[in-house]
Amino acid sequence: MKHIAPKLLGCFLGLSLALGQSTAAFAAPPSKGTMGFVIRDWFTSVYNSKFNDECPDGLTPSYDEIWWRGISREERAKITQNGLNPPLNRLPYAMRRGPKGENVCLQPDVVKDPPMRVIEGKYSYGANIDGTTDGRATAKTCKHEKFTHPDGTPGIDNQMYRLVGCIYGWRKGGLPEANAHEGRGTSGLGMILVEITGVNDKDPRNSDNVTITFHRSIDQFALDGNGKPLPYSSYNIDTENGKNRYGDKLKGSIKNGVLTTDRGDVRVPYYGGYGFMHPAIKNMALHMEIAEDGATATGQVTGYYNADEFLYWVGGMVGHATTAADCPALHVAARQLADGYPDPKTGECTHLSTAIDIKAYSAFIIHPEQKSASR
Amino acid sequence: MALQLNVIKGLLLSGVVALGFGMAGCSDGEPVAKGAPPTMRRLSNEQYRNVISDIFGPQITVAGQGDNLARADGMIAIGSRMARITPAGFEKFYNLARLISTQVVSPANRDSEFPCTPADPKVADDTCAKQFYAKVGRLLYRRPLTTAELDEAVKAANEGAKTKGSFYAGAAVGLVGMLTSPQFLFIVDETEPDPDHAGQQRLTAYAKAARLSFLLWNSTPTDDLLTAAEKGELHKDSGLEKQVDRMMASSRLDSGVRAFFEDFLRFEQFDTLEKDATIYPAFSLKVTEDAREQVLRTMIDHLITRDADYRELFTTRKTFVTGPLARIYRIPVTRPSGNAWQPYEFPEGDLHAGILTQIGFAAVASHPGRSSPTLRGRAMRESLLCQKVPDPPGDVDFSKFEDSDSPNRTARERLTAHRSMEACAGCHKITDPIGLGLENLDGAAQQRTTENGAVIDTSGDLDGIQFKDAVGLGKAFHDHPATANCVVDRLATYAFARVPRTEDKAYVTYLQKSFANDGYRFAPLLKRIALSDAFTAVAPAKTEQAQLETKP
Repeated sequence: MKHIAPKLLGCFLGLSLALGQSTAAFAAPPSKGTMGFVIRDWFTSVYNSKFNDECPDGLTPSYDEIWWRGISREERAKITQNGLNPPLNRLPYAMRRGPKGENVCLQPDVVKDPPMRVIEGKYSYGANIDGTTDGRATAKTCKHEKFTHPDGTPGIDNQMYRLVGCIYGWRKGGLPEANAHEGRGTSGLGMILVEITGVNDKDPRNSDNVTITFHRSIDQFALDGNGKPLPYSSYNIDTENGKNRYGDKLKGSIKNGVLTTDRGDVRVPYYGGYGFMHPAIKNMALHMEIAEDGATATGQVTGYYNADEFLYWVGGMVGHATTAADCPALHVAARQLADGYPDPKTGECTHLSTAIDIKAYSAFIIHPEQKSASR
Repeated sequence: MALQLNVIKGLLLSGVVALGFGMAGCSDGEPVAKGAPPTMRRLSNEQYRNVISDIFGPQITVAGQGDNLARADGMIAIGSRMARITPAGFEKFYNLARLISTQVVSPANRDSEFPCTPADPKVADDTCAKQFYAKVGRLLYRRPLTTAELDEAVKAANEGAKTKGSFYAGAAVGLVGMLTSPQFLFIVDETEPDPDHAGQQRLTAYAKAARLSFLLWNSTPTDDLLTAAEKGELHKDSGLEKQVDRMMASSRLDSGVRAFFEDFLRFEQFDTLEKDATIYPAFSLKVTEDAREQVLRTMIDHLITRDADYRELFTTRKTFVTGPLARIYRIPVTRPSGNAWQPYEFPEGDLHAGILTQIGFAAVASHPGRSSPTLRGRAMRESLLCQKVPDPPGDVDFSKFEDSDSPNRTARERLTAHRSMEACAGCHKITDPIGLGLENLDGAAQQRTTENGAVIDTSGDLDGIQFKDAVGLGKAFHDHPATANCVVDRLATYAFARVPRTEDKAYVTYLQKSFANDGYRFAPLLKRIALSDAFTAVAPAKTEQAQLETKP
């Protein structure tokens, strides 16, 4: 460990000193032991086998296919120019297939579609969030099946993967999240800042007691000529009436450059598919491996994602043609698979356990109330 | 074209006589210096833009530029004296003149540019044309036009108006003629008999005004200054000092100081600066632009705004940064986007201190993909200490330096191996010990502590002054006597557009001592030169030939 520490230590010491001696623009008190990251990559963690073994009946039929099957050969020919129209142009017809022409993504209850295909495989990325080995119901969870991590770790909770894993658009590299990723890169919306305080200046890769605060940036990503993010850029946090608009915190530690946190409810910004959300991820934890030079970090967010928020986002998504999901079936399956936070009245769970892969870049996080920065 | 070149030749051989560094010493001990050949300097491209903007307004676009001036004897200012306009170069100025003239007479600008309105805009108007050319010609030629010059311009305008059926189109024709004339493109030191010294010559008051204006503001004399010249005030000590004080109190002094340091620090290197985007992804074109500006902002703030010791430029931690620069320096800024400049002070303990550690020096004096202690060392010696480093021989064997299988991981180790070759050792002993002091900054000036896994050793010495790192190197430059003497020497060279000769040694020494006595403050040095007899005096005509034959 000692052989890699000096690189990072040098950066950290430089930062700490910089903050302590800055000019009027950075006249805040020293902010030693602080480092920051901006999250660039945010993708639902999905495990895809080579031959789709986890979806033994194949990928789930899309909204377009459901609609296609429901109309006569003559209607198909008329609406689709004998099938020549691509899915995107068929979207208005396929979506508005309610009895009164309702949009079935905005009103999924007006039709009853066949159940969608969900993950039946054994493996998934993620973490054991509920603490059980068998997925039995607890005070905060509903009974569900567990996965095994590809590295052999049992007891993995990831019902979001079970829900979306057989949808074409959510397979690895699928367009909905790729487009959302691109949108965040060009718009500057939904950028998550991770601020770690309490870092041990003498050995920042080993810090027993750190606090992790999540912010939203109001500055866009700094990109190089190839569109790749540049580390060491500065990002101002989003505020409302002078107060941090986000700012939820988790406790954690860094060991050998790996950050792990306790679990807690964290609200983060999210932008994708031309829609903006700020979901509260319940019982969330962050696991992040910081590169030796401190410039980048990769890791995973795990926790419970609100099913309604997810379905609302999918329902309003412009690019349904890229998701190939079927909204009515997705709504039904999401309710059935939800494994977290039972509704006190109905007892039905409202959240889906999930895992999100992230990649982050070293960043200076600027607090307007302090007029200072940290990295 | 041929006519204009003949005019240049004529000016050189007739009315212009040699300038000297001083006829009679100033009251504070300025020594007498002998004369020098006349100067006739071509406008630099920046001066050209400044002049057009000052005379016609910033709304006039100068879409292009003339040939770049070549550096001679270490300074472009000297190159400006040697510049000639080639046919291709003249074509550039001609095209610029046409574009500028068209804008000046355009409906959008003519009301503000012309002091009069023609009786009929479709036909020639002698009276209005004469008023227009008298106004702009005085500013363009930096003196009132002669009757012949004015008549020639009006004649060209009348012919143009007749051909094109427009007074304004005709006026543009005459303006093109002025903008392409040698009287505009060259700053000519015109002389007249000195009434106080029978048989001797002196600069005309207008020529003095031009010298002052280009030194202090890097642009043409304003109406105020030309009026002072017209009244003879510049021939009186009190009148001269009043104008110098006025000009030095202006914010436009920044432009003059910037121009000098751009020449002094060889800023033309920024024009061709490129970095390997794979190795240094954060080093963009914007970084190049901002790095140049950062050095100049630091200098103006330090030397003019705070009137601080010149030598502290090598140790100061105060500077200004933008978002793109901050990513290279790996420091926080409150406004990371756009072009926002923010003051920043590197903390004690940081390796960034002084201009040597700025991107504008450390990255410029480097290769596209790696640092170069040799290039950095040479730049330090030549630009900042005024020392000459010989060019490398043509058959240098770089194999030991560039061997990818070499066990030498750091530049110090590679250069040590390279220096084992006798032919290389001599120069590298001059450059490398100081260049290696900046090795904690990579080829983009990003801080680092190791190279290829090996810890970098940045210790060394500058002519006997020991240092441990980049900060110490800056301190060594601060303490080195050549640092201050060099900037004095170069400023004198810049002001007079010639290298000081042996007979000028006393004057330069006087400036160096005065600089020290003034606490190494740049503005007093600049003022001292501007007010000195040497700056405006001319040598007796009979020494002209001898001077022309004497090589600097």
